[in-house]
Amino acid sequence: MLENPTTKANEKRKGWNWAKFPPLAVRLILGSVFIYASADKIIHPGAFAEAVNNYHILPETLINLTAVILPWLELILGIFLVLGLWLPGAVLLSNFLIATFFGSLVFNLARGLDSHCGCFNTSQEATLNLCMCLYVIRDGIFLLLGLYLFFYVLFRKNNCLKFRTP
Amino acid sequence: MDKIRETARLKGIGSRMFRQAGAIALLAVTIGVLVNQMRSDRLTLVADWSPEARLTFKSGASVVISLEEARESFFSQKVVFLDARPPELYQEGHIQSARNLPWEAVEEYFDAVMTDIPQDSLIITYCDGVNCELSKDLALELFYRGYEKVRVLVTGWGLWKENQLPIITGHSPGA
Repeated sequence: MLENPTTKANEKRKGWNWAKFPPLAVRLILGSVFIYASADKIIHPGAFAEAVNNYHILPETLINLTAVILPWLELILGIFLVLGLWLPGAVLLSNFLIATFFGSLVFNLARGLDSHCGCFNTSQEATLNLCMCLYVIRDGIFLLLGLYLFFYVLFRKNNCLKFRTP
Repeated sequence: MDKIRETARLKGIGSRMFRQAGAIALLAVTIGVLVNQMRSDRLTLVADWSPEARLTFKSGASVVISLEEARESFFSQKVVFLDARPPELYQEGHIQSARNLPWEAVEEYFDAVMTDIPQDSLIITYCDGVNCELSKDLALELFYRGYEKVRVLVTGWGLWKENQLPIITGHSPGA
């Protein structure tokens, strides 16, 4: 069945396309989370370096470098996501970051490391730390939102017309 | 035909994704390093995060005590061991005669645990794991409160057990 071109034009003229709302909302949520998360880390780089060290994943030589660069990467990604700039690149990097955070948390939860205090605990109670589980759930939700945005950016039509390359 | 066009489109967006991601990462590296160089509390880009380095003051004095020294002090009974871990872990097992002063509830237990310990006593704090911060944080708190001879036994509980030195189970904080 053929679509009536005038109906489509009328819909466009109405202005607000509700199909655009979910990706916009996800962009704003993830962008705000990144901006919020970066603020304290930028203000207190020393404390953030301690936190990175507590994860016991990176080699010693990369800890300070990560503490210096990662907060700015989060801030830039947050701004780009909110403003919709360089969306394909921003979404790819955001997913990479969220997946890394999520993976690190799950890895530490599995090996019984409380990243909060940086202690290896052998008891089951300590391993199943409620806070750590909540962080995993939180990051899992962010990962799902990130993946949604990734596939939206990858498969939406007219990509070429809408994005400017760096 | 459509399939070919779709593949080409995905390739295009994929390549754009990586180029833009690289540019964003480069921007973050540049801003991060530049801002760090300009701040008064700047971090050295490559630092020593070993337990010894983290337990050394700017003056060069270290608060780390070796297992040999800790063992000697234990057997000569000239030391107070403080277990900085949570009560549950302390009750599962701790160094014999050690008192539990959990770092996370230090305000709550401090008076009860430290009341009969003179400020010039040798105190050794410990927790578990090479990178455990609890013993270091407790040691700093004790320095702050005027205790002069505070040392940290890194990986204390694990090391003590490994070397089959006297341990005990039970007792609650303040014991």
